[in-house]
This record gives sequence, structure tokens and C-alpha cells, in this order.
Amino acid sequence: MLEIKNLHARLEDGREILKGVDLSVAEGEVHAIMGPNGSGKSTLAAVLAGRDGYEVTEGSVTYRGRDLFVMSADERAREGVFLAFQYPVEIPGVNNMYFLRAALNSQRRHRGEPELDAGQDLLQRAVNVGFSGGEKKRNEIFQMAVLEPRLAILDETDSGLDIDALRVVARGVNGLRAPDRAIVMITHYKRLLDYVEPDRVHVLQDGHIVQSGDKELAAELERIGYATFGDPGGDTAGDAAA
Amino acid sequence: MSAVLDFPVKPEARPYLDAFARGNTSEPEWLSRGRQRALSRFAELGFPTRRSESWRYLDLQPLQQKPLLPGEPELAAHDMAARAQLAGLELPGSGPRIVILDGRFASALSRTEGLPKGVWFGAARRAIAEREDLFRELAEEAPSDTAHPFAALNAAFFGDGFILDLGAGVTLDEPIEIVHLASGSPASYHTRSLVRLGEGSRATLLETYAGEGRYWRNDVVAVRLAAGATLTRAVLVEEAAEAVHLAELEATLGADARFNGFALLIGGGTVRHEASVRMAGEGARCHLDGAFVVDRAEEANIVTNVDHQVPHGETRELIKGVAAGRAHGAFQGKITVREHAQKVDAHQLSRNLILGQRAVIDTKPELEIYADDVKCSHGASVGELDETALFYLRSRGIPDAEARHMLIEGFLREPVEEIADPVLRDHLLRRLARRLERLEE
Repeated sequence: MLEIKNLHARLEDGREILKGVDLSVAEGEVHAIMGPNGSGKSTLAAVLAGRDGYEVTEGSVTYRGRDLFVMSADERAREGVFLAFQYPVEIPGVNNMYFLRAALNSQRRHRGEPELDAGQDLLQRAVNVGFSGGEKKRNEIFQMAVLEPRLAILDETDSGLDIDALRVVARGVNGLRAPDRAIVMITHYKRLLDYVEPDRVHVLQDGHIVQSGDKELAAELERIGYATFGDPGGDTAGDAAA
Repeated sequence: MSAVLDFPVKPEARPYLDAFARGNTSEPEWLSRGRQRALSRFAELGFPTRRSESWRYLDLQPLQQKPLLPGEPELAAHDMAARAQLAGLELPGSGPRIVILDGRFASALSRTEGLPKGVWFGAARRAIAEREDLFRELAEEAPSDTAHPFAALNAAFFGDGFILDLGAGVTLDEPIEIVHLASGSPASYHTRSLVRLGEGSRATLLETYAGEGRYWRNDVVAVRLAAGATLTRAVLVEEAAEAVHLAELEATLGADARFNGFALLIGGGTVRHEASVRMAGEGARCHLDGAFVVDRAEEANIVTNVDHQVPHGETRELIKGVAAGRAHGAFQGKITVREHAQKVDAHQLSRNLILGQRAVIDTKPELEIYADDVKCSHGASVGELDETALFYLRSRGIPDAEARHMLIEGFLREPVEEIADPVLRDHLLRRLARRLERLEE
């Protein structure tokens, strides 16, 4: 499904953020990428989704057998890539229903399916405007449920949520687990992983994946903190986990 | 009519003087005298130059060089064309409507029957026989006629217009519709109208302006609201690409009266919408909202003047502008609070979106406050499309062009959504969406 090889990326100001990320996600799998602030988690999500302002300097990303980087952001979405934003954007004047219908129909058109004409009166509020933090994140998961992506990237979807909101969001994510869908969750804390159990956990630090393991790795991280994973070789952490 | 030569004449006014001399004089004498007075005023003032502060953002050179003289309507010949123009522009339903074609009342396209008692609604000329008091109020010199050259020209040449008069306590639930059309002959159309609401009465009005070809529309509307009266007046300007549209509103609000003025300028080569509101009674409230969309080489100006002359008034203005291509948009808004007009609450906001490198928007909100116990503020912004919002939409699969379109429309909807009447609001939103479909970025 997703094959990231030696991915290097930098910001427009020249600062290198990703310094050789390798990651392989198969269909049906749920992966968690954990890491401290500034490790490159959100940059990885942004580069995969095709956001402007980042330059890929080395490496490759293959998505369902195709080079991801030849596709524009909206093409990637129509091909089934979904990014749940860490900070969902407020768009005054654009009604949430209208937005979702436009999104869904752009994807249906792309797949050669007839467009849907949903009711006008539902969800009349403007996109994310006046939504609480929890409502915004639920709106992200709702969009994901409507758009049924093949690859969903959740960028710190758990941040800023209280435990009830987190449960609701986690239920939404679990409901979207499917054999033909891969989910990559980016998170700072283990909390989300208590509700959405990952198949694989990766630790991203200073632009590299320094350690990969099963869900036990998340528990390990919680206990000993990120500091121990300073060595890109990851031997120390590996030993500790074993 | 040799008398018209006895005063100083600006050269650009000369063709209009000559046209006036050719006009007929079968009108009441007081009216002819008023017309002559206004004409001499125009001859003296000439066209405003860009040195004049309130006209600095508009290029009137083309009009000055190629005059568009007052046109004679040829009604019968154009009825069919007018019907075609009307399609889609009209409000849904069968409410009261006046169509003014080439500056004259088009009775075959109008519906003025079935209004409740206490309402007079009709063509201005009809009032000469039926309600001379109303016609005099319409025709007599407005304050602006002496300072505003085109208001003076309008007073000299106006052919027709409409009058809506509501007695005290009358409420009209359905919106009243006025449609100004132009059939395509190169001419100027000077229309003059009056809206007078008695104490505690209420009405909603839509004035639409559209046409074909090269013409100049010069429109003056006077609004008089008695104590506690409420008027919502929406203006939809969808003039032809080569048309010049200069419109002037003068409103006077009595105590606790409320005026909701709205303007949507989405068509016309050179468009100027001016609204001057005199807050004459305590507790009067005035909302002036609007939006303009210009592309190619179009020009649009919204000019507002609110004068708080007495205490306890409220003004709210929200004006949004979008300019693309080589177009030029401008907002000039002034709120004056006189020395004794304490406790006035006034807020003005101008927000603008520029698409592309060559479009220009000027915005000049202005407060002039002489009272010391007031709450007044203003703000202005000019920006580009929000890249983060654009990425958000694209990340859901919406193609770039469609996503941009959604953001532009979303930006412009806000002032339109202030309109309370759902039929009117949805109609304007549809017209706006239709305009944006052919926006050339």
C-alpha cells in the first residue's frame, strides 16, 4: 500500500526535517508513528498529503504501486489518500454539507461513479467555524468515513481531546479498519493507542525512524520516555523492549 | 431655451445642454424650471475629476470622451428582448413588480395591482396625475443635486422611475421588485425614484439593474423613513459589460427607523453605488452591507456616507470585495458623528480579496467624530486566498479551481446572508454563484 524509502524533506527555508525515513505499510494494517515534538511527525504527514512548502530532496514514496509525488494534493485525495488534520481549518462561508458533497463528488467523478445530490438542509454550519476542538476532530473522522480512503493519515487526531471525545474519535477510527485500508496514526502520546490498537509502532526522532516494534513498544516508550531513543541505531530501546 | 446659455458651461457638459434644448416641454411649469436649474448646475460642475475625493477611484474618461445622451425609449420594439432579459433575473413568485425599460415604465411587464390599502406603488409619471404630492417630493431638488454633478444631471433629464409610498402601520410581507433594463441603444437613462414609509410601516425592496450593449444608467433614489419604519432595500447590479452604472441613494431616517441597505455589484464595466444616509431621528439604525465582484477590466465602487446628526443611533457596515484580472474595486465609507450625537454606536468593516497580480482594490473607511461619548470602530483588510484553507479543501479531493471557487463564494456569502427575507437572500446567492462561474481569475 505505502512504501517510503530513504525520504528526505526540507522546509522552504532550507531546514532539513526528514532525514531518511523508511516505512512500509501493508493493506489492512494500522501503524502508529510516535515521537517527540519536532521529530518530523507532522512534516511526514504533510509531505504525504502533498502540502506546499516542503521540498523532497531524496528518496521515494510509492502508493499502491505509483509514485506519490507526481500527483497533486487533490489527485492524491481522489486516489484514496486522506489526511486528518492536527489543526482542522475553519472556512467561514463554506457550508460543511456543501464541502463534503463537493469532496465526495470529486472522488466519485474520478472513479466514474454518478454524483450524489444530498439534502441541502443538513449540516448547515460553515466548515469548522465555531466547532469545539473535539467537534473539529470528529468532523475530520466523519469526513474520512464519508470519503472512505484507502490510506488514512491521522495527524495528532488525539491532541486536545478530553477522554470522552477521544473515545468517540477512536470508535470512529476502529469502525474504519478494513482489509483494504491502511491507517497511519501520528501521535505524541500512547493514549490513543489504548483505544485503537496498532499492528506496528514506529518511533520517529530527528527525522529518522529509530525503532519499530509491535504495540508493546508504545508501552515501553510511555515508561522510559523518548530520550532513551536518541541513538538512531535503536539498540538500547530494542534491548529494553526485549 | 436660450436662457441655458447664460451661465458658465464645462465643455464636457455641452452635448447634454444641446440635448436638453431639443427636449419637449409638455410638463408642468414648476418641473421645467426645476430641470433648467439642475441643468445649469450640471453645466457649472461638469464631470467630476479624479481630484475629487469621492470620485478618485473611478475612471470616467471614456464616458466623458464618448458622451451617452439621454435616450428616447422605443417600448414596443423592445418588449420581447426585455422579456428575455428578465428571465432568471426576476424573483421567484408573482409579487408586485415594476419594470423600467430604457428609463421608462414598461406596463406590459409590470404588476402593481393587489396591494393592500395605504400603499401607493407605481411609475413616477403616473403620480403626476394621481399623487402630485409624491411626484413633487421625488422631483424637487435633493440635497445632493447641488453638489453631485450626476444627481443634478438626473434632475434635469429624468424620464421616469418608481414611487413606493406606505401609510402608517402598513406592513408588506412580500418583497417589492423593481427591474431596470436596457435594450442596447447607446444612450443614457436617468431614472429617479422615491420610497416613503409612514410611521411604523415595513417593506422589503429589490432593485435589479441589467441590460445589453453600451449605455449609461444614472439612477437617483430617495428614501424617507418615518419614525419606527423599517425598510430593507437590496440592490442587484448586473449591468452589461460595456455599461456605466452610477447610482445615488439618499436616505433620511426618523426616530427608531431602521434601514437595511444591501448592494451586490456583479456586472457592468464601470459601476458606482453610493449610499448617503442621514440619521435624523434618535435611535435610528442603519445597516449597509454589500459586495462587489470585478474581473477583466471592470471597475466597481461602493461609496457610503452615514451622518449621525442626533444621539442614540447605530450603524453597521460590512462590505466585501473581490477583484481579479486587471479589475479595480474600491470602497469609500465615511461615518460622521456630529457634536451632539452622543451614544452613537457605529462599526464599519471592509474586507477584500485580490486574485492575481494585476487586480487592485482600494479601501478607505473613515470616521469623523465630534461627539465624545460614542462607540465607533472601523477596519479594513485586503488579502489573497487563504492557502491553508485551499489545501484543506484539496486534501479532500476537490480540484484546485473548484476549491478556489468555493473559498471565493464563501468569502462573499457573509454579507448576503445578513438579508432576512429567505426568498430574496436565496435569489441573490444564486445570482452571485452564477456570476462566480464566469469569473476570470
